[in-house]
Amino acid sequence: MLTYALLVHAAPYSHQSALSALRFAETVVARGHRLKTVFFYHDGVHNASALMSPPQDEVHLADGWKRLHEVHGAELLVCVAAGLRRGVLDTSEASRHGLAAHSVEPPFELTGVGQLVDAMLANDRLITFAP
Amino acid sequence: MLLHLLNRSPQSLSVYRELGEAFGADDHLLLIEDACYAALPSASAALEPFGGRVSVLAEDLASRGLAERVSPAIAVVDMNGFLSLTESHQRCVSWF
Repeated sequence: MLTYALLVHAAPYSHQSALSALRFAETVVARGHRLKTVFFYHDGVHNASALMSPPQDEVHLADGWKRLHEVHGAELLVCVAAGLRRGVLDTSEASRHGLAAHSVEPPFELTGVGQLVDAMLANDRLITFAP
Repeated sequence: MLLHLLNRSPQSLSVYRELGEAFGADDHLLLIEDACYAALPSASAALEPFGGRVSVLAEDLASRGLAERVSPAIAVVDMNGFLSLTESHQRCVSWF
């Protein structure tokens, strides 16, 4: 059994990479490995949007990530700096910046890139998916 | 011994050139997403630097209608095969 971390740079539905990352993540856990961390960076932060509402006959990427958290315990980390720039923030950041709305809900967590470095060091594999 | 992941079509010449320069003797290349087009016989020149140590992802070939058109020199792997390559290679580098 290996531990895996994934780094996702790609926005959902703009490029295949976010879907590639989710399919790979599902294969990791199906094989019995441990997916410990998915880190969303750059445009990849849009994967964490609680407002994502794709048509019902399409893959719901945010729900796919949430399932990996709920069933397999994967932590879903979102770069706070990349998120703030793109309007992807949670209640605490919205309050700090005086904004009326937020778009990130647990189990997605806003974190710094230090957490990405931790994930690189702490896991057996880091696989990057980018557009 | 590195696993290189490439997702750009062979039209992205500079990515293929830089990857070719970085590719080590025991490395392996997996073509995913638009890099599947490099698995066609007509694009074989793009893969010359990799000495036959190249695989391509079956699901991405199928979604592009290329499943029957792959060069016989290239191994076709599914998502489980992709995972196996990450198991057998300690480090994985993505080119995009």
